[in-house]
Amino acid sequence: MLEVRAVTVDFVGLRAVDHASFTVEKGQIVGLIGPNGAGKTTLFNVVSGLVRPSSGSVMFEGKDLSHLGPADRNRMGIGRTFQVVKPFGGLTVLDNVMVGALTRGQGPAEARETARVTLKRLGLERFTDTVAHSLPLALRKRLEVARALATGPKLMLLDEIMGGLNPTEVNETLSLVQELNAEGLTFLVIEHNMNAIMRIAEKVLVLNQGAVLIEGPPAVVTRDAQVISVYLGEPIESA
Amino acid sequence: MQLVLQIVANGLLIGGLYALLAVGLTLIFGVLRVVNFAHAEFMMLGMYGAYWLWAIFGLDPYVSVFLITPVIFLLGVAVDRVIIQRSIGKPDVTVVFATLGLSILLQNAALTLWQADIRSVSTFASGSVFVVGGVRLSVAMSVSFAAAMLFALGLWFFLTRTMYGKAIQAVAQNRRAAALMGIDVKRVYLFTYSVAVAAAGAMGVLVAPIFTIFPRVGQTHIVTIFVIVVLGGLGSVPGAVVAALLVGIIRAGAGFLLGTAWGELSYFAVFLLVLVVRPQGFFGRRGAEVYGG
Amino acid sequence: MPIKSASLTSPSGQRIAFAVALVLLLCVPLVIRDIYWLDLGITVLIWASLATAWNISAGFAGGLSLGHAAFFGVGAYTSSLLFLRLGITPWIGVFVGALLAGALGALLGVITFRLKGPFFVLATLAFGIVVHIVNVNWRDLTRGAAGLLLPFRGGPQNMLFPNLWAYWYTGLGLLVLTVGISIAIERSRLGYYLVALREDEDAARSLGVRVVRSKVVAAALSAALAACAGAVYATFIQYIDPDSTTQFELSVQIALVAIVGGMGTTLGPVLGAAIVIPLGEILRARVGGGPALVVYGFLLMVIVLAAPNGAIAGVRLIGRRLRRLMDSGRKADA
Repeated sequence: MLEVRAVTVDFVGLRAVDHASFTVEKGQIVGLIGPNGAGKTTLFNVVSGLVRPSSGSVMFEGKDLSHLGPADRNRMGIGRTFQVVKPFGGLTVLDNVMVGALTRGQGPAEARETARVTLKRLGLERFTDTVAHSLPLALRKRLEVARALATGPKLMLLDEIMGGLNPTEVNETLSLVQELNAEGLTFLVIEHNMNAIMRIAEKVLVLNQGAVLIEGPPAVVTRDAQVISVYLGEPIESA
Repeated sequence: MQLVLQIVANGLLIGGLYALLAVGLTLIFGVLRVVNFAHAEFMMLGMYGAYWLWAIFGLDPYVSVFLITPVIFLLGVAVDRVIIQRSIGKPDVTVVFATLGLSILLQNAALTLWQADIRSVSTFASGSVFVVGGVRLSVAMSVSFAAAMLFALGLWFFLTRTMYGKAIQAVAQNRRAAALMGIDVKRVYLFTYSVAVAAAGAMGVLVAPIFTIFPRVGQTHIVTIFVIVVLGGLGSVPGAVVAALLVGIIRAGAGFLLGTAWGELSYFAVFLLVLVVRPQGFFGRRGAEVYGG
Repeated sequence: MPIKSASLTSPSGQRIAFAVALVLLLCVPLVIRDIYWLDLGITVLIWASLATAWNISAGFAGGLSLGHAAFFGVGAYTSSLLFLRLGITPWIGVFVGALLAGALGALLGVITFRLKGPFFVLATLAFGIVVHIVNVNWRDLTRGAAGLLLPFRGGPQNMLFPNLWAYWYTGLGLLVLTVGISIAIERSRLGYYLVALREDEDAARSLGVRVVRSKVVAAALSAALAACAGAVYATFIQYIDPDSTTQFELSVQIALVAIVGGMGTTLGPVLGAAIVIPLGEILRARVGGGPALVVYGFLLMVIVLAAPNGAIAGVRLIGRRLRRLMDSGRKADA
């Protein structure tokens, strides 16, 4: 479904992503892990179209995305959240989610309905009329997911949505992702919470210094010595 | 050939005056990220200061400049405290319109106090010229040109060679990191703003012998100064100087060839083009125009 | 991040309030017979429309334009010149002017949509000045500083009326048009897109909002409506010159009216005109033009520093307090 081909991103004096290649198949949940500064978020920005790669390309459902901006990529079915949350601060939670629904081609009334349904699904209905910037961080992260979900994506890029959540909330989020996945949504997930990612991911990619170090099923990746040294510090107990 | 030299010389002298204003404006933008729409009003106040001290006490502007500049510096301190510091980090509408409001206020306060009458100061420097290689140069213009270049050079030296200057540059590059390094960011703002407007005031005093003085005199120049500052790259001191001299020459040349109006139009068109094609200007850092706040 | 607008969805009571306000405004010429006040009222209507037009690109989309006088001028000159040179009635000229200004606004939108903050402001400022310089110097077309005098010819079919109340209704029609379009935009898909772009462009794009298209459409609509106000102004005053139509100060005042009232809301600019224009007029009459502008400058500074959401925020607060007071009163009765 998604194919990243030898993508390289150079910032001034810094190679953020270095010939990264990988694929995500339809229906998969793929985890993207790596230390801070490994280029995970930059890679998301390349896939969603906010950053143009210096070389390499991104294919989605067999089409080359190189000449498409973020808006068109979203309309093709790529939804994303931001690690540093970007709510439309002055708008209500409902209006935030409505923007997502409107770009699918729904009219305002229909979009409002879609937004309400989405908010309910994410347990945000109590905050429907709350102004977004007054939400606590954990809920703003959930709003990111709700907004992206309302665009009706086929592939969802989640950028550390579980940071700062308590174990119960993490469990809720994980089951939501699995539920949506069962309904056919594909996921590419950046996550620092290793336990969480190992529980849901079918495949895990390890990014280090902008390059894909290894990829494989979670069990294999955790055992790999390189990952342990780069990222995990020590072997983790299987969850 | 003589004519070309004369036009270039006139342009350079005018450009030097613009440079003194543009350097301050660009410094304020670079460090505070504030577009100081009231900048030329400080020049206007300097001109009136020169006029009144000359009319009442008979003080020559070349003397009174040493009295007026410190006063305008203090005025800058007050404005920074009361208005500028409160607008930093606020939405664009506050950053842009607070200084625009100040500009309207100062212009019309001058209009109310001193009427719309056109005033002028006449001293020994007013009409006198000297001739170099057949090119006639106004004494007063040459003095202010020299002052402008000295100021720009001094500022450049200060910013690059002294500790405090480097602290200012650190704030310009990243205010948060500078604050973490222990730099008193608010004091840097205060100092930068006050020095920049004091320079504008000083220029007002120095040009008083040759330019007519009226409440809106600042407004006739501010847009040209903006053009210069953007061309040089908002925030770039050397860029502002080079662009000021260039605009001075273009203005004099185009004004001679095409007439004042179409000459002006031509550099506004260039300005728009530069904003669109290369908004960081010729000397500015790429990304400043996107980074905005 | 600029202006907060609590919700784009409006309560149903708003419709009733609008209807009541409209009826009251329709009755104004029946009540106010004094020429001075009616004249001032018409000026307020035109300024309210102009500020509303500015607000569409500045308040909703976040592009603080300091060049809107250019569009006002294009509207005023297009309809006046069509009338003077070709005898085309301003009723048609107003739409030609709107089309022309809309195209110009779209062009400016295309070249400036990428610019942020002060860079956008300076680009619009330069654009406005270019139009002003052209206006002053293209004497064959505009007669330059001499201006254009609209001869009183033909009456109502040429938007020239013998009495003020007809201008009042023309001005009211203009205001209903601009506010109507402003409300329609606010509630439409475009309105949501513009506010989303204003609040966070990257997030909006990632949700499928197309930047260029949204901003250019907003810029064109805003320019076209400003031009309509210009055309009505020209027939009302019957004399236009560069100073009264395309000058930089005019662009500043358009922004000032909307900001004082409250940017990013539909009624803010209207409220702003109702406050700023009479205030300026009364001050000018009592203490002179200089002090009046001192007050303008002071007002602008205080509003953006202390109350960037404008007067409308204060009105809303009072409204909420009153409602609570009435609610508690009702409870006490029961």
